[in-house]
Amino acid sequence: MFDDALHPTPATAGRPAKWRPATEESRLTRILLIAAALGGLAILVVAPLAVVFAEALARGAAQAVTSLTRPEATSAIRLTLIVAAISVPVNAVFGIAAAWTITKFDFRGKAFLITLIDLPFSISPVVAGLALVLLFGTNSLIGGWLVASGFPIIFALPGIVLASIFVTFPFVARELIPVMIEQGRAEEEAALTLGASGWRAFLTVTLPNIKWALLYGVLLCNARAMGEFGAVAVVSGKIRGQTATMPITIEMLYNEYLSVAAFSLAAVLAALGLLTLALKTLLEWRHADQLAAGRRH
Amino acid sequence: MALAFRLQKSPMPGFGLGMGITLAMLSLIVILPVGALLARGISYGPEAVWATINTPRVWAALYLSFRLAFLAALFNLVFGTLLAWVLARYDFPGRRLVDALVDLPFALPTAVAGIALTALYAPNGIFGGIARDLGGKIAYTQWGILIALIFVGLPFVTRTVQPVIAEIEQEVEEASATLGAGRFHTLRRVILPMLLPAALTGFALSLARAVGEYGSVIFIAGNLPMKTEIAPLLIVIKLEEFDYDGAAAIGIAMLLISFSMLLAINLIQIWSRRRIGHV
Amino acid sequence: MHIEIDEIAKSFGSTTALHPVSLAIPSGALVALLGPSGSGKTTLLRILGGLEFPTSGRVLFDGQDATGLSVQERRAGFVFQSYALFRHMTVFENIAYGLRARPRRTRPPQAEIERRVTRLLELIQLPQIAKRFPSQLSGGQRQRVALARALAIEPRMLLLDEPFGALDARVRKELRQGLREIHDSTGLTTVFVTHDQDEAMELADLVVVMSMGRIEQVGRPQDIRARPATPFVREFIET
Repeated sequence: MFDDALHPTPATAGRPAKWRPATEESRLTRILLIAAALGGLAILVVAPLAVVFAEALARGAAQAVTSLTRPEATSAIRLTLIVAAISVPVNAVFGIAAAWTITKFDFRGKAFLITLIDLPFSISPVVAGLALVLLFGTNSLIGGWLVASGFPIIFALPGIVLASIFVTFPFVARELIPVMIEQGRAEEEAALTLGASGWRAFLTVTLPNIKWALLYGVLLCNARAMGEFGAVAVVSGKIRGQTATMPITIEMLYNEYLSVAAFSLAAVLAALGLLTLALKTLLEWRHADQLAAGRRH
Repeated sequence: MALAFRLQKSPMPGFGLGMGITLAMLSLIVILPVGALLARGISYGPEAVWATINTPRVWAALYLSFRLAFLAALFNLVFGTLLAWVLARYDFPGRRLVDALVDLPFALPTAVAGIALTALYAPNGIFGGIARDLGGKIAYTQWGILIALIFVGLPFVTRTVQPVIAEIEQEVEEASATLGAGRFHTLRRVILPMLLPAALTGFALSLARAVGEYGSVIFIAGNLPMKTEIAPLLIVIKLEEFDYDGAAAIGIAMLLISFSMLLAINLIQIWSRRRIGHV
Repeated sequence: MHIEIDEIAKSFGSTTALHPVSLAIPSGALVALLGPSGSGKTTLLRILGGLEFPTSGRVLFDGQDATGLSVQERRAGFVFQSYALFRHMTVFENIAYGLRARPRRTRPPQAEIERRVTRLLELIQLPQIAKRFPSQLSGGQRQRVALARALAIEPRMLLLDEPFGALDARVRKELRQGLREIHDSTGLTTVFVTHDQDEAMELADLVVVMSMGRIEQVGRPQDIRARPATPFVREFIET
């Protein structure tokens, strides 16, 4: 019904200038509001995105590509991929387990459990990193013992993985819970009465129903895990070539005034962000009915 | 813990496994680390924690973080509602692309946003250059921090308000008009009050995110003590000085701010549910 | 107020909702627009209220062309099928809304607004619910509040879209009588849309039977029952 917001259909073209549908603003107001929205978005969002690619290509594409083959860049890319490859599946498993527990059963304290799962969203990444350092750092009880047994967590890969899991903790569960609440329990119960085992019911009934929502959550989780800076900065120790992920390496290069190298690496992450955005939008268009997004309120 | 989540009878299998994974992960990732932070504060002693926070530099950083986060969230409240309205109500070329772009701040890593914003707003950048010609400075001042915080919190209000706008019944707006109200009166008295609970939720989410934001801010901030030093940076500095107690003290202060904002969000939702039946 | 509909037609894109229709509604009448869904009755009502603009034709109020008048200028008390009460306002605020929306010059003082709202609450026989929110009311109560809200602006006519559609049978009967009484005491020209022929026949002075965007017959209930003009009318009032 708002399709003719800017282009009046012939049926309404002949009406007097004074008459206007009760649910519409004047044409001038509409144009001004659209202009304000687009202008604001261009300055606030599009300009920063564009400048990443512009700065990366400031001295030509060749130099940008070369900078990505420097050892510190390649090791950063490798580390980031490893971190995502561990933390995303872990979070997916956790998200499914939490959503299954919360939506298929009735128990006391459910609301409290959901609050706990959501908690990492409202904690500063730096505070999250600090908390992990205090728990697993060398001068803590557990950390000291782990270092002594040759399995350090802080300033090493496990710490970075833990920090990445922390900041992405609610993503998958939050996406699955509303969808699974909506789908109810009847289908699984039917499968059980037909003699299916619990696992079989989950794999053949639940999983197909939640696959798009799961993919959606995993996408968001992955983007955040690869791009996390604050929490990782605290726990990684920023050891060049060892614990420097892509965002950490971007900071190092930037602080050393290696602008092209920093922005080239940033462009890779920005491209990844755009890809995530495109896939996410595609999912929203194609499978809106099987996602929680858009019906949260 | 397991006793607290006692199950009522159910034929569905997998409660033990699901709850086991959930609680194990929650403990390892969230409860134990946050507990370690609080324990550190307790062993350091409440007086010592207070003494750490109660210094001009820490107060300045906390005040700066909170004040600028509040201003950024306020900007996002207004602009985000406008954006939601335009996206939900008007059709224009490229609307779906614009709709997708709104989420970019969620998809772009904060460090990338940080250096990009700095490149734009530094004196030799495009917008920074304009400011310099006009005799002003954006990057390395509080204005720069404000812009970074606006960026990271931009999608929250739009994404909470947009579905509510889509749900407003056309008849409600028409009713207002048949009662003699002009369009502006309808917007102000009927539509905006209906959007208010969702907009406030988005505002609180944006605020919570901005208070704790680190990655996008430190590049553009300049990081001058007492002037452009944000609270999360102070934690990082303390850690680099191996002052774990000091870091824990500031961390606990920020945790309390986060918890009170979480509480505020929940209260807003309870309030609006009670008032208009549902959110 | 005397209403005249002169060759009004309306199409939405390529679908025609109303073929040119003409109808005269005498001042003070209680008229039912009766027909199945898709017959164009709601479109006609919305054109009278200024919520739709006709593709062609004119609407005259007391002989004056009102086609170009905006919704606000028409001062038609409109009761929507869903009632469209403002959820975030109390019953009092809902009813007072139209008075408070007036420009400052013509806005009644607060004491006057309170007096009028109280009187309207008495008229709809719900004097004690002023402070409640719509979500705390029953369906029948909401319908009556919507009616009071429409009456508060001192409308020139009353337009109701399926006013009893969302109610159960018992409440429906009760409220029909209520509408009749309010019509008789205010003397307002009243047009209501319904698909329920019992409702139309029992309540209206004049029934307008519509189908497929055309007026099939206009007449007093007993005349329509005695002499259906077309096969459609005969079939529709028999079922």
